[in-house]
Amino acid sequence: MAEISIALRGRAVVSETRHLLFSVMPGAVWIIVFLVLPSVYLMAVAFMTNGPYGQPQMPLSLESFRQLAGFGFLGWSPGNLYTLLRSLWQTLLSTVLVVIVAYPIAYYITTCREKWRPIMLLAVVVPSWTNQVIRTFGWMNLLAPGTPLSDAAQALGLIAPNMGLYPSNFAVTLGLVYNFLPFMVLPLYAAFEKLDTAQVQAAQDLYAAPLRAFWHAVFPQTLPGLLAGTVLVAIPAFGMYVIPELLGGGKGMMLGNLVANQFAGSANWPLGAAGAILMLIATFAGLFAMRRIGKRLGGGEEVVI
Amino acid sequence: MRKRTLQRGLTTFWWATIFFLYLPLVVVMLFSFNASNSAANFTGFSLRWYTRLLGNEQIISAFWNSLVLASVSSVVALAIGSLIGYGMYRHRHRKLGWLIVLIYLPIVLPDIVFGISEMAFFVSIHRYTGLFQPGLGTMIIAHVTFQIPFVALIVYSRLVGLDATLFEAAKDLYATPFKRAVHFLMPTLKPALISAFFLSFTLSIDDFVISFFTAGPESATLPIYIWGAIKKGVSPEINAIATLMIGAVAIAAVFSLMFNRQGRH
Amino acid sequence: MTNPMPAPEVEHSDPLDDTREKDESMPREASSIELKGLRKQFGKDTVALDGVDLTIDAGEFFTLLGPSGCGKTTLLRILAGLEEPDAGKLLIGGKDVTDIPPHRRSVNTVFQSYALFPHLSVRDNLAFGLRMRGESSAERERKVAQVADFIQLGSLVERRVDQLSGGQRQRIALARALVCEPNVLLLDEPLSALDAGLRGQLQVELQRIQKRLGMTFVFVTHDQDEAMVMSDRIAVLDSGIIQQVGTPSEVYEHPVNAFVARFMGHDNLFAIQRSADNWVDTELGRLQLDPAQQRSEQQGWLLIRPETLELGGEVPAGYNRLEGTVKERLYRGSRIEYRLEVNGVTLMAVASNVGQRLHAVGDRVTVSFCPEDLVRVAA
Repeated sequence: MAEISIALRGRAVVSETRHLLFSVMPGAVWIIVFLVLPSVYLMAVAFMTNGPYGQPQMPLSLESFRQLAGFGFLGWSPGNLYTLLRSLWQTLLSTVLVVIVAYPIAYYITTCREKWRPIMLLAVVVPSWTNQVIRTFGWMNLLAPGTPLSDAAQALGLIAPNMGLYPSNFAVTLGLVYNFLPFMVLPLYAAFEKLDTAQVQAAQDLYAAPLRAFWHAVFPQTLPGLLAGTVLVAIPAFGMYVIPELLGGGKGMMLGNLVANQFAGSANWPLGAAGAILMLIATFAGLFAMRRIGKRLGGGEEVVI
Repeated sequence: MRKRTLQRGLTTFWWATIFFLYLPLVVVMLFSFNASNSAANFTGFSLRWYTRLLGNEQIISAFWNSLVLASVSSVVALAIGSLIGYGMYRHRHRKLGWLIVLIYLPIVLPDIVFGISEMAFFVSIHRYTGLFQPGLGTMIIAHVTFQIPFVALIVYSRLVGLDATLFEAAKDLYATPFKRAVHFLMPTLKPALISAFFLSFTLSIDDFVISFFTAGPESATLPIYIWGAIKKGVSPEINAIATLMIGAVAIAAVFSLMFNRQGRH
Repeated sequence: MTNPMPAPEVEHSDPLDDTREKDESMPREASSIELKGLRKQFGKDTVALDGVDLTIDAGEFFTLLGPSGCGKTTLLRILAGLEEPDAGKLLIGGKDVTDIPPHRRSVNTVFQSYALFPHLSVRDNLAFGLRMRGESSAERERKVAQVADFIQLGSLVERRVDQLSGGQRQRIALARALVCEPNVLLLDEPLSALDAGLRGQLQVELQRIQKRLGMTFVFVTHDQDEAMVMSDRIAVLDSGIIQQVGTPSEVYEHPVNAFVARFMGHDNLFAIQRSADNWVDTELGRLQLDPAQQRSEQQGWLLIRPETLELGGEVPAGYNRLEGTVKERLYRGSRIEYRLEVNGVTLMAVASNVGQRLHAVGDRVTVSFCPEDLVRVAA
C-alpha cells in the first residue's frame, strides 16, 4: 500500500516536470533555434575570413577585428574608429540630453492631479508607438532646406545658405533624443512616484536651501529610475541604425550603420559580425553594470529592465 | 512665491516637450493633405496623395504583407508565449533563471544584431538546404521571436497578480484540470490575451529593422516600402501612407490599453 | 453598523433562529476524519507536520489552533487535498483519500482570502462547484437560491464580487462551499480579515450554522478566544506536533504543558522548584496544592489563573495566602486587571467589577486562592 502511494507521488513529480516541459519548451526551443543559434553563428562568422562575395569562409582569423580597427589593403585609415567614437559620443550626448529633459517632465507629472497622471504619461508615450521610420521621416520634413527651422538656422549663421539642418550630427542627436525620451520618463516617473515625501520634508527642515534638500533627499531616491532609464536609452542608442541612416548622411554614420552596411551593399560579413560583437559586449556590459549598481542602490529591490 | 514660479516654468516646459513630441507626426499628417508636393510649404488641402496610394500596386502589396505578417506572427506568438507565461507562473518556485534569460534576450538584443543574426542564419541555411527562403516566412519567424517575450510577460504578470488561492478554490470546487482551464483560466486570462495580441500586432507593424533584414524581394512591408521611397527621394505619398499607419497603430494601441485596463478590474 | 446583512426577507430561514435543532432543507452526510502518522516537510529542513495522529468525529466543530508556522494550515491543506503528505494516511468517512485529488473529494474549503472568482457574478460563484460536478442547471438554480436564502444574501446574487463588502464576501465564500453539501467543511482563518465587531457576530453565526447543518467543520485559527467560543474540541499545535486535544474548558483550565498554557493566554506560570504530596515551592513561596495534582516528576510549572485570585477580605481556611503590592491597574470595564508584585515576582489578578473596592497602585493587598484552582503543568 505504502509503495503504491510512493509510486503515485513519484509519478506526480514526473508529471509536474512534463508539464513544465510541455508549457515552456515550445517557446524556449523557438528562441534558442531562431535567436540563440543565429547569434552564436554570427559570432562565429566574426572569426572567419571574408570571401569574394562577402560570404564568410575558412580559415579562421582575426582579420575582421583588424579591419574594424581600421586596417585595410590601403594601410590604416581612421574611418571606422571615427564611427566608433561618434557612436559613443552620440550615445553619451543624447543620454545626457534625454535626462535633462525627462527629469523635470517626470517630476512635473507627479505634481499634477492623480487622475491626470496616466493620461500625461500616455501623452508622452503615444508618439513612440508610431513606426520609427515614419517619426524620423517627420524630422526630415521639419529639418529639410526651406523649412522654417532651417531658415532660422541660416539666418543665425549656424548653417550654410541653402542648406538644411539635415543631414548632420545635430539632426542625429535630435532624432535620438526624440526617440528615447519616453524610455527615460517612465522609469523616472516611477521613481518620483515612490518618493518618500516625509524624507523630503525632513530635508527641507534640515537644509534651508532647496537645492541642498533636493541633492540630499530627492536625487538619491530617483537614482534607481535614472539608472534604469539610462540603460533603456544608452544601449539601443549605441546600436541605432535608422536615425543615423536617415538624418546623419555619410558623416553621421554610427556603429549600427557600419554593421548593417557589411550585410548589404559592400558585403563583408565577418567585419559586420565583429561590429555586432562589439555591440553585444556593450549591451551586456550595460545590463551587468545596471544589475550591480541597482543591487547596491535598491536595497535588494531589483530594477526591472 | 518661488514655488509658484517653478511650477509655472515646469508647465511651460511640459507643453514645449509635448509640442516637440508631436510636431513631427503633425507635420507628416498635415503635409499628407498638401496640394503641392513641397515638403516646406502647405499650399492647400487635397486628397490627391491618398488617391494615388490606391493606384500604387507596390503599396497595396506592402499593405497586405504587413497585415499578413502582423496577424500570423501575433497568433503564433500568442499561442507559444502564453504557454510560456503560464509555465513560468505554474513553476515559479523552481529555478527558472535560464528561462528568464532566454525570455529577456529578444528584448535586450539590439535590433540590428537581432536582424543580421537571423539574416545570416537564414541565408546560410538556405544555401545548404533550400529551407528558409527569405520572404514572409522568415519574417514571420523573426517577428514571433521578438513577440513571444511580451506575450509571456503579460500573461505571467496577470497570473501573478491573481490571488493564488483562486487556483486552489477551483480544484476544491470539483473542477478537473480540463474544466479549470476552460472555466477558470481562460476567462480570467481573456483580457490579458487580447491585450497581448494587440501589443504583438502593434510591435509587428512598428518594426522596421528586423523586417528589413529578414525580408525577401517580394515581401516588402509598409515600413520597408516607406524606407525605400525615402531613400529614393521624398515624396508626399509617404506622408499619406504614414498618416494611415499612425491612425492604425493608434487604434490597435487603444484596444490593447482598453483590454489591459479591463483585465485589472 | 451592527448588522451588515440586509433584513431577512424569508423569516423561516433565519440562521440566528436557534429554535429548531437541525435544518433538514439541506441534505448532507457528515463524515469523520482520521489522520494517521501524517508527516510533511518543505524543502530540506522545514518540518511542517511531524507525525500527526488525530480523530475528528462526524458532525463536530473542530478547531486547529496554534501560532503561525505551527503546521495548522498545512494540515488543513492536506485535508483539502491541496497538499500531499510525505507519509501517513488520511481517512475521511472511513475511506482512505490520501491519494485522491481535491476535485474528487467531498470536502470544501472557505479560504482565508475567500478566493471568490473575480470574473464571475455572485450567482456564478455560488454555482461553480455544482456546475463543475455536472449538476443540471435547474438543480443548480434551486440549490443556489436555497443557500443564498440560507445565508440571507439573496438580494446580492446578481452583483459582481468587487461590489461586496468584506463581511458579504465572507458569507458568499461560506455559501459557495456549503452549497456543495460536502461531508467536511474546512475553514482557513475565515474571519481574520474582518473587524472585531463583525468577527464576533460571525463567530456566533458560524457555530449556529454548523449545529443546524450537523456538518463536520474543521476550523483553523491562531486566536484562542475565537477557538474557545466556537469549538466542540480544540487541537493545539506547535512545531508540527499536536500538543493537546480537548474541549475548550479542558484546554484552557488544564493545559498539558507550558506552551499550551501560554498560548491560551495564561501569564501566571511559575517554575516549580520542589514539590511534595500537597505542596510546591515556587518563587512566590510554598503553596498548598490539591493532592490530585500530584505528579511523578518534581519539576514543571505551576499555573495560577488570574480570575481565581481573591484580593483583600477574609482568607477562608485552607486557602493559600500571599501578600503583595499593586504595581499597575488596568480598567477593562467589566473587569479590572491588577499587576501585583509578590516576593519580587509579578502576579496578575483579575477581579470582576461588581461592588468591590478598587485597589490603588501602591496598595498592599492580601491575595488568597483555593488550592484546588492550582494546576501543575508539564515543562
